Amino acid sequence: MNRDKINKFFDKLPTHVIILFTMAVWIIPTVGLLITSLRPPQAVGNTGWWTVLSPPPGAAPYSQYCASCHGADGATLPEADLSNPELVGQYPRSLQLLAALRQDINGQPHMGDIPLPSAQEAADIAVYLRQLSEIDASSQFTFNNYIDALVGYRGRSTYTADCAAGTQPPDINCNTSDLLNPRGMGRAFLNSLILTIPATILPILFAAFAGYAFAWLDFKGRFVLFALLVGLQVVPLQMTLVPISRFYAQVGLNGTFLGVWLFHTGFGMPYAIYLMRNFLGTLPRDLFESAYLDGASHWTAFRQLVIPLAMPAIASLGIFQFLWVWNDLLVALVFLGGTTPVMTYQISNMVTSLGSGWQVLTAAAFLSMLLPMIVFFSLQRYFVRGMLAGAVKG
Amino acid sequence: MKTTRKFWSILTLVIVASMMIVACGPQATEAPTSAPAVPTEPAMTEEPMTEEPAMTETAEGPVAGEIDCKGAAAGDEISMLYQWSGVEEEALNQVLQPLIDACGIVLRPESSRDQALLDTRVQAGTPPDVAFWQVSQLVQYQDQLQPMDALGADRSNYGEFFLDPMTIDGQWLGLPIKADVKSIIWYSPVNFDALGYTVPTTWDELDALVEQMVADGNVPWSMGFESGDATGWTGTDFIQDIMLVQQGPDFVNGIMDGSVSYDDAGVRQAYETYGAWATSDTYTVGGAQGTLSTPFLEAINKPFSDPPEAMMVKQSGFAGGEVASQFPDLQQGSDYDFFVVPGIQGLQGSVEPMMAFNDTPAVQALVAYLSSAEGGANWAAATFGLSPNMGASGNYTDPALQKLGDAIAATQGFTTDMGDTIPGGFGSAEFTGVTEYVNGGDLDAILSDLAAAQTTGLNP
Repeated sequence: MNRDKINKFFDKLPTHVIILFTMAVWIIPTVGLLITSLRPPQAVGNTGWWTVLSPPPGAAPYSQYCASCHGADGATLPEADLSNPELVGQYPRSLQLLAALRQDINGQPHMGDIPLPSAQEAADIAVYLRQLSEIDASSQFTFNNYIDALVGYRGRSTYTADCAAGTQPPDINCNTSDLLNPRGMGRAFLNSLILTIPATILPILFAAFAGYAFAWLDFKGRFVLFALLVGLQVVPLQMTLVPISRFYAQVGLNGTFLGVWLFHTGFGMPYAIYLMRNFLGTLPRDLFESAYLDGASHWTAFRQLVIPLAMPAIASLGIFQFLWVWNDLLVALVFLGGTTPVMTYQISNMVTSLGSGWQVLTAAAFLSMLLPMIVFFSLQRYFVRGMLAGAVKG
Repeated sequence: MKTTRKFWSILTLVIVASMMIVACGPQATEAPTSAPAVPTEPAMTEEPMTEEPAMTETAEGPVAGEIDCKGAAAGDEISMLYQWSGVEEEALNQVLQPLIDACGIVLRPESSRDQALLDTRVQAGTPPDVAFWQVSQLVQYQDQLQPMDALGADRSNYGEFFLDPMTIDGQWLGLPIKADVKSIIWYSPVNFDALGYTVPTTWDELDALVEQMVADGNVPWSMGFESGDATGWTGTDFIQDIMLVQQGPDFVNGIMDGSVSYDDAGVRQAYETYGAWATSDTYTVGGAQGTLSTPFLEAINKPFSDPPEAMMVKQSGFAGGEVASQFPDLQQGSDYDFFVVPGIQGLQGSVEPMMAFNDTPAVQALVAYLSSAEGGANWAAATFGLSPNMGASGNYTDPALQKLGDAIAATQGFTTDMGDTIPGGFGSAEFTGVTEYVNGGDLDAILSDLAAAQTTGLNP
């Protein structure tokens, strides 16, 4: 009995190790991104995200070289109070600090018989002193990146600092109306929702109709038509941008949500129809025959039999299409552009063309991940079933 | 019999249903489309507009005097496409604010670094009114662009060497809008003082300084290639500067017009001078691997980090802004500063054009404003790089930009980046070439490949 359990454990061990490894590979970067997005940019420049919980690098050399005279809080010597920002402000970097340490104080060597710290240690001590004297914020975490991303702040400091100083850029009002600033993630979140929901529902709806027709209606040329539709998957989306853009310009659909919905519907349908037909084709024929015998029309059969039975396929299609539309930049950029920006557009424009300002990007990326994660976790049990949709004929 | 009837009835049902959805779809959709579109956009653009005048009048800055609206009415729109984003977009808004205040023009900006967007818009017949893009687009779209003279641009505010790259087949198609100087070396005066180094004034002095640093155990250079698709551009910039020192501007211009082949001995000499530094870990941080894998923005920080990892970094004028944002407590002039590459003949730099696809009163007003002396002065005050406009001179609020502006004003020559200038993919071939070279590739093979790319690029 016990032995069986041990054997079973060792049999499954490789699987468990592989699963844990895969999870770590996927989760560690995400956690790193989350932590980075919560840190002030200077701190990110100094130390990696994995060091957030360890003491600052200057603490150890400080207690080794300085604490014996200046005290742990720096305030033991009143004539050289290291918690005084004015004094510390004179030694911003290791070179100045080392120069001061080399000088004599009242005819005595500054360091007495303690050796001079190395350049790296002096640099760490300089950073530590700036935190000790509160020149630099000692706080490890900040929500500033998220605030800046939400309101679309594009200045050189932070939204809260600028608003406190009254030097905010012209498009910032420093009140709640900033949440709807067209350049912020808050506004873009709404745009993304308006774009994504119909662009997910429409192709699935049409694909369900078409899948039913291809699977259970007998009409001439249905296999040819089906093959043609599935074959349409090979059309690369990029090739159609110019002709469709030209057509949209003539009918006035450029820059409208309707245009993008239609585009995503068109390009989502071939795969959706393929998946739906294969899934519906696996349902037992007897089921439909008895329904028709009982007098059900095709419409009733579709509504009362097909839709409930096809829920796993619909849900998995929904996840695919939702993620695709939500994360799409190209189509939204070409057909919606900057007038109604979606989240991907905003994210790509958070940093400057040289890549600075990335701290806001980390927060923005995390904001845009939130909804897909919610959708995925709430639909994931369908997802696994839906992956197998149409895979087994039975 | 029965099944076919049923089939037809279901088919009509499906068609009717789908038509209903299509018909309702638009209406249901129009509610959300027009609902956000109408209140948000005017509200969002007008809100700052109405509040703006008060703000700019109280704020010290922009000159809002003589702006010629060229008959543009309030509410006229200009659609713009540019590659700038983040802080840059904010600075551009600041430059254009006086024009908006004076004429009531509404901007419809779009920002993307994907050139496919510009190409799609132009090919679809819906180009933006104005685009801020690269010089090579002036050639690509020369048939669609409006000449600047016809739009009322003021030629007298620009030096000839800025107008030359903007003139395609005798037509002035691009307004030089933003310039940068590449031929400068950033260093830390504090570190130089502490270590007893002086700023070199000739190439030999620079060489001697580098050897001195190595002898002292300091790493002279910080180099970083990594920049996505454009990995290697910092190397080609450096090599072009070395060519300007060793061979002079005629040689570099010769490469750009094809009279000097890229496998010339002069090119080879510049590559070897550069390679001796870029591949050795006593001369550059991390040696060849460090050069290849360090992101160019990180390389900028290394001479200014504490303790410094290197002594100097050769990077364009924008590096000053990067240092300022990465190290807010450092002062330009004492903690970080730059000198022009010593011994260089003329300067290497880049200039970005604004091109106009449509001729409307609002576009004319924009062109007239940006090419006027006030436009240049306001550009300088916005701390958004260098303005080629002579009106900018003396109006920079940022000391580093002022110093660069003076360097531009004093230079006898200005050569553009050859990778940007030679069309047909030569630029990216050059990036790849220098990357391969630093990675240990065979220089002869690399240079002859690049000479071939140069020939095909210049003679398509």
